[in-house]
Amino acid sequence: MDRATDYETGIDAIAEYLPERVVTLGELDAAGLLGGSAAVLASFGFEGVHLAGEESNVDMAIAAAGKLFAENEIDRDEIGVVLYATALTSSSTMWNAGSASALNGAPESVLELSEVSDLFRYPASRLQAELQLRNAAVIGVNQLGCASIFAALRLARAMIVAEDDLKSVLCVSADKFPPSHKRDLIYNVVSDGACAALVRRGAARNRIVECTHVTKGALWDSGSLENEILAAYFPTAKALIERTLDKAGLTIDDIALVIPHNVSLRSWQILGRLIGCPLERIFTENISRVGHTVASDNLLNLRRAAESGRIKRGDHLLLFTFGYGLNWACMILEH
Amino acid sequence: MKSSSVLLTGATGAVGSELLRRLCARKETTVNALVRRGSARQPDIAGILGDMESIARVVVLEGDLRQGPTLGLADIDLDALARETTHIVHCGGSTSFTLPLSEARALNVGGTQAILDFARRCDNLQCVALFSTVYVSGKRSGGFSEDDFGDAGMGFVNSYEHSKAEMEELVLDAMHDLPVLLLRLSTVAGDSNTGMVRGFNAIHHAIRLVYNGLAPMIPGDPDECVDIVSSDFVADAALHLIDHGDTGVFHLASGAESSSSLADLIAGTVDSLVRFRPAWRKRAIEKPLIVDLDTYDLFVRSVEEAGNEVMLDATRSISTFAYQLAHPKLFDTARTRAALDGSRIAPGRALEFYPRVVKYCLDSSWGTRPC
Repeated sequence: MDRATDYETGIDAIAEYLPERVVTLGELDAAGLLGGSAAVLASFGFEGVHLAGEESNVDMAIAAAGKLFAENEIDRDEIGVVLYATALTSSSTMWNAGSASALNGAPESVLELSEVSDLFRYPASRLQAELQLRNAAVIGVNQLGCASIFAALRLARAMIVAEDDLKSVLCVSADKFPPSHKRDLIYNVVSDGACAALVRRGAARNRIVECTHVTKGALWDSGSLENEILAAYFPTAKALIERTLDKAGLTIDDIALVIPHNVSLRSWQILGRLIGCPLERIFTENISRVGHTVASDNLLNLRRAAESGRIKRGDHLLLFTFGYGLNWACMILEH
Repeated sequence: MKSSSVLLTGATGAVGSELLRRLCARKETTVNALVRRGSARQPDIAGILGDMESIARVVVLEGDLRQGPTLGLADIDLDALARETTHIVHCGGSTSFTLPLSEARALNVGGTQAILDFARRCDNLQCVALFSTVYVSGKRSGGFSEDDFGDAGMGFVNSYEHSKAEMEELVLDAMHDLPVLLLRLSTVAGDSNTGMVRGFNAIHHAIRLVYNGLAPMIPGDPDECVDIVSSDFVADAALHLIDHGDTGVFHLASGAESSSSLADLIAGTVDSLVRFRPAWRKRAIEKPLIVDLDTYDLFVRSVEEAGNEVMLDATRSISTFAYQLAHPKLFDTARTRAALDGSRIAPGRALEFYPRVVKYCLDSSWGTRPC
């Protein structure tokens, strides 16, 4: 039995939340929020990022999921599981940096706990309550960096395949960067943002054809192993993408559009050459405008690509991302 | 080379040291090892000879090739040396890929000019053996024979190749009036039996970068031949040719028969690291990718723009030789094979001895600790 075609599990709806405030590289630099050169980051494809203000990571998650429900006819009771995927450790807490930032206020620590009970206050539960998803059990998916939403989507499909009475899983990701910290990490610029996706049995679009994920725990210490991480990125990315295509019985020429992470245009110029995919078939338009929204890039880009008419029904799409930990994840969808 | 007096330069280098050990095992031989004045090479030479019993007479002369035909020696020493010298073996010079061209020229072209001028003063000279590199071929691609010279206008990858090609122009002229043996070496990896490396070069630095997980990609074609040879083959072959009075150009290279493909060499590197340092596997380091030149250039440009010093050092280190891989070529060794026929001297298959070299690099921590 071919499980994929049997269940036709796919991503039926996508929504995102990006804070209204857009800040240019120059403004970030002037505010002391860039560790590297703004000119270099510009040459790597960035223009600016979205910065959250008062809204917390949970607020952004609720906003993204709320938009998903507002735009689509979804019976909230059909959702049996919420997978709340986060990259930053702080995002799996109720931490809220509020409005303080280096742009308009004093720096503060990432986690400020006044009571031990704060450690047990979970954003996923609050999300379920706010969205009134009474049939949904909540599960946090974290410790995968920017690959967390890929893990959530993979788990969602696996759960739907495994559990006959599970029809839909809501995957949500939201990350708010510590406002007073420098926003460039290994030559990409981090944006605040959130996304939500409904993974559904019998989805009308975005059938999940293949998911792969590789973790190299030896490179877990992103602070001290930055050079090794840089060197590992391309060989591992190429190998994983080729393995994913192979598992799906496809070649890169079968892929209508690559839906990338937003970790720099330059990285895609190189990776595109390595996997034999011309840049024209990589949806890079959002990199300069949006920056790297931690775990939300690919879903945000998938939605934009669909809205732009770049993809049509039946197209094979390849999504790829990379997260600290160290994780590489790849997914092939049939749109 | 019976009852001979050999002037040897570069006696402490990767090839010179192998020649020194072999010459010292010969009866009725005097080895005048010319070392740079003030370079404290005498202890190095003692170290090279180690516990071997030197049968030959070894004299260390402190001089300086940069001073021209006097070799930096006093007149009286120079005259005596010219009278007794029957063979000159010139391994001296710079093998650095990163010197400015002017400095590389001064050492490799200027040094050779000094040797050739001195050779013309030697009444009993039977052979002047000069060491060059097969990479005088520069950015040529395809076959490069022992009758070919220079880069054919294609340019060079580094100042070492460039200066050696200019040095060969001098040598070509000298072939009219001197018994010149020009030996073009491939990349010398180490001893084929022990893996011992006496002179760490680009290939050993590349092994270290792979070991440290800092070599994500190198330019080239997976199927292209990579020519590496063992230091014992080079020394044995060179002395055989010198002993037999051969003159002309010879390639001490592995050639098509014994080369390995670039892909196999990289796989061999990784396999050896895993085999000799099992804990290395835990680091989950991927094999470097073999990429086209444009992709490699884009990566290097990105590293340069980012200004990451560690990655910058790594890419610079690779770039000094890696661009050579983007110009695949095959070194013809027909003349050398014919001259060595029946001697049982032949380049071993690269992949057979290369793992021992990797092991030596690991055990000696790239020459920083005894092993």
